[in-house]
Amino acid sequence: MSDETLPQPSETPEAPAGPYVYDYAASPQRQVVMPKTVPLPSLRTYEAEVKAAAAADEAKWQKMLADFETAKAKAEAEGKEAPKPPVRPVPRKDDNDLKTPWPQEAKDDDLHRLQERLGGKVEEIFEQAGELTCQVSKEAILEALQLCRQDIALNYEMLADQTATHYPAATGFAFSVVYHLTSISRRKRLRLRILVPEGFSPESACAVYPSANWMEREIYDMLGIRFANHPDMTRILCPEDWEGHPLRKDYPVVGWGQRDIAFREDRGGMLERIALQKAGQLGINLKQPKAE
Amino acid sequence: MFKNEEMEINLGPQHPSTHGVLRVKLRLDGETITHCRPMIGYLHRGVEKICENQTFFQGQVWTDRMDYCSAVANNLGWAEANEKLFGITVPRRAQYIRTMLNEFNRLASHLIWLATHALDIGAMTVFLYAFREREDILDMNEAFCGSRLTTTAFRIGGLREDLPPGFEKLVKKFLAKFPSCLEEYENLLNENRIWKKRTIGVAKLSAEDAIALGITGPVLRAAGVPYDIRKAFPYAAYAEMNFDVPTRTEADTYARYLVRMDEMRQSARIIQQCMDGMPEGPVMAKLPKILKAEVNEVYHATEAPKGEIGYYLVGEKGSGNPYRFHVRAPGFINLQALPKMAEGGLIADIVAAIGTLDIVLGEIDR
Amino acid sequence: MPIPTLTQSIVITLIQCLLVVIFVFVVVPLTVFAERKVLGYLQQRLGSTRVASGHIGITGWMNRGMWKWGRIPVLSYWRGIPGLVADVLKLILKEDIIPAKADKFVFFIAPALSMVAAVVVFAAVSFVPGVFFTFPTWFPFVGGLPVSGGIADINVGLLWILGVASVGVYGIVLAGWASNSKYPLLGGLRSAAQMVSYEVPLALSLLAPVVLSSSLNFAEMSKVMATGLPFWGLVPQIIGFLLYLTCGFAETNRLPFDMPEAENELVAGFHTEYSGMKFGFFYLAEYINMTVVAALAAGFFLGGPWLLPFGLQGLVNPYLPGFLSWFGEPHAIFFVVKIIFLLFTYIWVRGTIPRYRYDQVMSVAWKYLIPLTLFNLLLAAAVRCFAV
Repeated sequence: MSDETLPQPSETPEAPAGPYVYDYAASPQRQVVMPKTVPLPSLRTYEAEVKAAAAADEAKWQKMLADFETAKAKAEAEGKEAPKPPVRPVPRKDDNDLKTPWPQEAKDDDLHRLQERLGGKVEEIFEQAGELTCQVSKEAILEALQLCRQDIALNYEMLADQTATHYPAATGFAFSVVYHLTSISRRKRLRLRILVPEGFSPESACAVYPSANWMEREIYDMLGIRFANHPDMTRILCPEDWEGHPLRKDYPVVGWGQRDIAFREDRGGMLERIALQKAGQLGINLKQPKAE
Repeated sequence: MFKNEEMEINLGPQHPSTHGVLRVKLRLDGETITHCRPMIGYLHRGVEKICENQTFFQGQVWTDRMDYCSAVANNLGWAEANEKLFGITVPRRAQYIRTMLNEFNRLASHLIWLATHALDIGAMTVFLYAFREREDILDMNEAFCGSRLTTTAFRIGGLREDLPPGFEKLVKKFLAKFPSCLEEYENLLNENRIWKKRTIGVAKLSAEDAIALGITGPVLRAAGVPYDIRKAFPYAAYAEMNFDVPTRTEADTYARYLVRMDEMRQSARIIQQCMDGMPEGPVMAKLPKILKAEVNEVYHATEAPKGEIGYYLVGEKGSGNPYRFHVRAPGFINLQALPKMAEGGLIADIVAAIGTLDIVLGEIDR
Repeated sequence: MPIPTLTQSIVITLIQCLLVVIFVFVVVPLTVFAERKVLGYLQQRLGSTRVASGHIGITGWMNRGMWKWGRIPVLSYWRGIPGLVADVLKLILKEDIIPAKADKFVFFIAPALSMVAAVVVFAAVSFVPGVFFTFPTWFPFVGGLPVSGGIADINVGLLWILGVASVGVYGIVLAGWASNSKYPLLGGLRSAAQMVSYEVPLALSLLAPVVLSSSLNFAEMSKVMATGLPFWGLVPQIIGFLLYLTCGFAETNRLPFDMPEAENELVAGFHTEYSGMKFGFFYLAEYINMTVVAALAAGFFLGGPWLLPFGLQGLVNPYLPGFLSWFGEPHAIFFVVKIIFLLFTYIWVRGTIPRYRYDQVMSVAWKYLIPLTLFNLLLAAAVRCFAV
């Protein structure tokens, strides 16, 4: 940029005081829409929802009936023709190949064995889409993993995957951590799940399954859950000094650590001008490197 | 009088044999590796975060770009995970075509592995021989979906298009010449004394260690564990296919080489069966225009060329975006075994170990 | 024949040096080009074709000719030859970077050392025994004087060759050390160990010709080895030739023994930090070394300037009919063709087999090659004792 094209002082917009900070709210990519619901699959919640939906349906039907009765009475009183009796609405059947898998009662022996051996530490067991889920209390996860690994009847040799999900709208917990176990000999898969509040450090699975090492580091890096007794609890994908945990729901898609001046958005050169001006205030010459 | 010191050296992130931007911090005693720590993340693009902010359909293009050598296998795992989430049954013809393309992709991925692994060990001619056959497979990709590397081949519920006319001819031509090509590679390597010296007994990983570290794919099978998701948890049309799971018990680099070579033969067998038994019918399930999820979580694993690729999806009620999109990348888990394989060996052995793990950094860093 | 004065003989020697240097600098770039083309042929690709002219120069002429002939000139085999000039220009014009903490003097001297050591070996190499050619009488100053087939016809030529060639390792070791960087250091250490190890079997394998010919003079040795041996002299020579070639591959850091610059392990080994013409010197030195090793192999084992290798010339010569007598005489062209064939072998091996690991390279030298060369020496001594 030559000197002629430099902005005149009268044209320049007001430079913000202090170090230049990008206005997150102004950038559409940095706006965060927080989730309103807690999509945590659970048989109990599902049953409650179904019951509530049935009750609402019933209430609506009763209201329609009552409306009809009043309308009929009114029509009789006025001597008009009686209105048609209401028809209970049938849920519309779609003509497609979609069969949503709903949570079902646990029928598999493994889930019952887990419940039998762990007793009250198991919070919930259910099956959905052919997958077994067992939710245990967050303090008992190591015990549950040890049981799955060592019990002859269970014998889950491999921890295939471990990951976590952020639920900012939930009360009582903030994350769910899921462990996907595979039994190579029995050809079975099992999902263990714990619900973890913010700041809680669940026990690391490394002692039972060494493969958890990097997966737990990734969870810490991406969601900020620290695992207790982990051999090497450091960031793995992001740099050591990265700010924030990217996979949390309150983290924008264009991350906090990314450069503040988005030159692609800066069509008019406004941001560059501000940066130059700010640099001038700080006594830095951005245009010509110093002959050192 | 003499001071004995260990030297610390960085293998990568800019290094010819780290297959991308892997950085391995090595501590050397002479040329012997005493300590090895892989450091990853140089290619981290936040695929999971991006996919959570896009619709279910849009996630597919990101799966292409994770393991760019086996895009079709990634697409298949992604499509099946979504179908499991929504409860969609895919038409049988679509399943067969998917299976066939997936096996072609396994061939392409194994060929590129063979090429780079041999180049790492110094046999540079195999590199170009393997790329010659891979070119034919990429041409078939192009004939099917218009793109060679990042295929975006499938749709949730089936395929966008049926096979193009003349595709069978391409497949037949390829299958006719492929066995002789495999023999050509094996002539160059199998009984080559230097190749054997460089690979036999190098980067060993026992079956117990492999299972404990979550290793899957050819590396596990070369340790004698016949765990192949195509057999253990059949998906697509694999339940109807007749194929073997090649295993070896030596658990070294040479065994992994042999396992992969045998796997290529089995893949050709599966492709032949797909062609012979290709059913007629539609290739797309009947679906509503807009897919809205219910509250559900699925973990669906398929056998990618490099191991188990798993997709963990959480659906939110009434939302068109996945609430959580997580990929269990085989390379990410397999790379954990690198210190165990490399420590105690020489620098040349860690090059062989990285090659034999068959890593692609795009998938490890996501 | 006139006897030259001192000044005249100095001038003749300088002319000989010039001829050798021209030979070296013609063969080396052509080897580089041949390496690209032969590797390309082995690997079913075209090799270098990018730097080629469609309109001017040799390639342009060939291209136009091929168009006229009705062929598409894309596969014209000589396309890519201008790339040699481009390569040299690039090396000369490139910025020469010296790492900040390098030992500047040693960093500077190392490439020169390996280059000089590689070229000076040719002093004792005899291209043809006796007179190579005679200057015509009208030639100024040296008219009518003969030019011999080698620069220095010294009695201990083999010792000179071995001694000077082993100086070349200093260039590599010093380059690795002076770069003050870890990969070059490892490359330098590797080359020190490897070259010192392979000097032993190399020298031992060359002792067999010495025993058989009872001379250390290059011309004398090649003559005896080509013509003066009985039938049983063949056996130790063939074994010795293969052993020598193996050691020669290791001495010149070529696949499968290219430990000091194994690019998949050590990035570029000892010359990682070198750029510009300093790197070019290492590059040239490697190819000149290849030519030297090929020249020695051709001279001692393949019959040198005689047509047939392994002493077969002496067996065939008495039965040669008169009109084929040209093939019974030594000619420099045979020598050069043999060198070129051996250079082709280098490239062929590079395209075919993988690389050894470092410890395996050492074990090959000490456990297999040295005993084998000793056995070969024993055979040669036996042949010398009983058969000659």
